[in-house]
Amino acid sequence: MLLELNNVEVVYSDVILVLKGVSLSVEAGQIVALLGANGAGKTTTLKAISGLLRSEDGKVTGGSIRFQGVPIHAEEPQNLVRRGLVQVIEGRRILPHMTVEQNLLVGGKVQKGRVERRQMLDKVYGYFPKLVNLRARVSGYLSGGEQQMLVIGRALMAGPRLILLDEPSLGLAPMTVTEIFELVERLRRQEGIAFLVVEQNANVALAVADHGYVMENGRIVLYGTGPELRENEDIKEFYMGMSISGHGKSFKDVKHYKRRKRWLG
Amino acid sequence: MLSLLSYVANGALTGLLYALIAMSFVIIYRSARVFNFAQGEIVIVGAFLVWTFMSAFDLPVWVSVPLALLSSLLLGVLIERLILRPLVGEELFAFVMVTIGLLIFIRGVVLVAWGPEVRFFPAVLPMAAVKVGPLVFDRALVIGAAVTLVVAAAASWFFNRTQLGLEMTAVAEDHQIALSLGISVKRSIAVAWGISGLLSTLAAIIFLNGKGMTFLASDIGFAALPVALLAGLESIGGVVLGGLIVGIAVGLAAYFLDPIFHGGVAAVFPFVIMVVILLIRPTGLFGWKTIERI
Ligand SMILES: Nc1ncnc2c1ncn2[C@@H]1O[C@H](COP(=O)(O)OP(=O)(O)OP(=O)(O)O)[C@@H](O)[C@H]1O
Ligand SMILES: [Mg+2]
Repeated sequence: MLLELNNVEVVYSDVILVLKGVSLSVEAGQIVALLGANGAGKTTTLKAISGLLRSEDGKVTGGSIRFQGVPIHAEEPQNLVRRGLVQVIEGRRILPHMTVEQNLLVGGKVQKGRVERRQMLDKVYGYFPKLVNLRARVSGYLSGGEQQMLVIGRALMAGPRLILLDEPSLGLAPMTVTEIFELVERLRRQEGIAFLVVEQNANVALAVADHGYVMENGRIVLYGTGPELRENEDIKEFYMGMSISGHGKSFKDVKHYKRRKRWLG
Repeated sequence: MLSLLSYVANGALTGLLYALIAMSFVIIYRSARVFNFAQGEIVIVGAFLVWTFMSAFDLPVWVSVPLALLSSLLLGVLIERLILRPLVGEELFAFVMVTIGLLIFIRGVVLVAWGPEVRFFPAVLPMAAVKVGPLVFDRALVIGAAVTLVVAAAASWFFNRTQLGLEMTAVAEDHQIALSLGISVKRSIAVAWGISGLLSTLAAIIFLNGKGMTFLASDIGFAALPVALLAGLESIGGVVLGGLIVGIAVGLAAYFLDPIFHGGVAAVFPFVIMVVILLIRPTGLFGWKTIERI
């Protein structure tokens, strides 16, 4: 097992209990989707894994997190990146005053040396040919889609075994979203990289995911393979805006429904 | 006319000295977002270190200067480790208070260790004046200007071209992203304090070469503040231009205003400029504005 969370609890600022026992697992080369409403604790889960939690005064207070069999809940992010676990933070967080290539080079921090870093850079440009022409551009001025490509490419520079990808579709046009998920699928196929993807857009995420989890209120409430979840009526209701009767629901209805509906209730 | 030119040229040279101190300030601010009010005190510690090695211990220049540079580098790292690192995660206000506290503390230590009397700073650099046509310059300032330009070019190369420098620039941009990419933010900040300490001692040598000094010479740190603010607190190249602008403005103020107000205007002029900048453009002239895409 590449990544295994067992009954993980997370507390912010010593008092705010946000994760109340999250268990999930990702095998090498798998794409796993993590779905759930706003505030369910998806980002917190990713940060608990990557170790970024501590920079926000959060702590894993219970359960265990194992990466390649080794407990990592107390590990510094830099050691995890070196071991092949990288998080792509939500909101397309480029380094805005640095060029595209500088962003990528920084991402290659854990590479052994200059030569390895250059080789990795060429590989990333191979996967993201659009970035080649933009290499000298200040990244703050890229389009949203280009920035999303850049942050994924930057994570790739570390040569990871597992990428934690937080809401890559946020605010992007459907075509760009499709393009990004095609890339995720290709990276898995050709590089054997596993992905744990947090998504609001369940449709695209489940289309490529081997399996998925649904979170609510700091707990995992639903688990299934990609196709199972895609056929799940609740998921259709919440994420695809389709009711059982086949009528499309407006986003507002779905949101309202989401509030009172309890998963597996 | 000739004397106006002389005021402007000497102002520019002094401005570049300010720029060197401002650079040591900016390097810390970029990495740690810490506004180090004690920068001038660190310059003075550097100065007293050079004095101690050279005048008190009678070591040769080529031993004393590297030793002082190394010590001030360690001092920077030590201050970061002992005083600022425990504050990580605290409010901005805590950092402001702690660097002001640091200023008072170092001033006290300097007074106790080296006393209040005037010491003569050794002539590390040649003293003979430089004559360019009819203009006369302090040789240390001329050498200092060249040093500043070289250091700025080197820093710019370092932060934009080398892997460690790029990582430090990433830390300057966003601590969380830097962390997520496997960069040790703590180490970057410690390196920044070290470089800053080293530059401070370099500035001390240029500033005080062959002059008398007391602990009050640390006021130079305040003169460098307007330069750092004008530059926008993040830009190394901006610091050089900021230094030139402030230096020349002070030269002009000394020439035109001091005779009218019977002196004193030039001394406060950098702060007049600072207030004006803060009113008109708080991000400075060359600083990182938030990039807003439309
Ligand atoms: N640093 C923090 N301190 C305190 N509470 C926090 C912190 N970060 C997140 N929370 C709280 O934890 C809960 C889960 O947040 P989290 O960001 O993990 O949700 P999410 O599932 O990623 O939501 P979204 O879909 O909106 O991104 C929220 O109620 C949030 O307010
Ligand atoms: Mg989130």
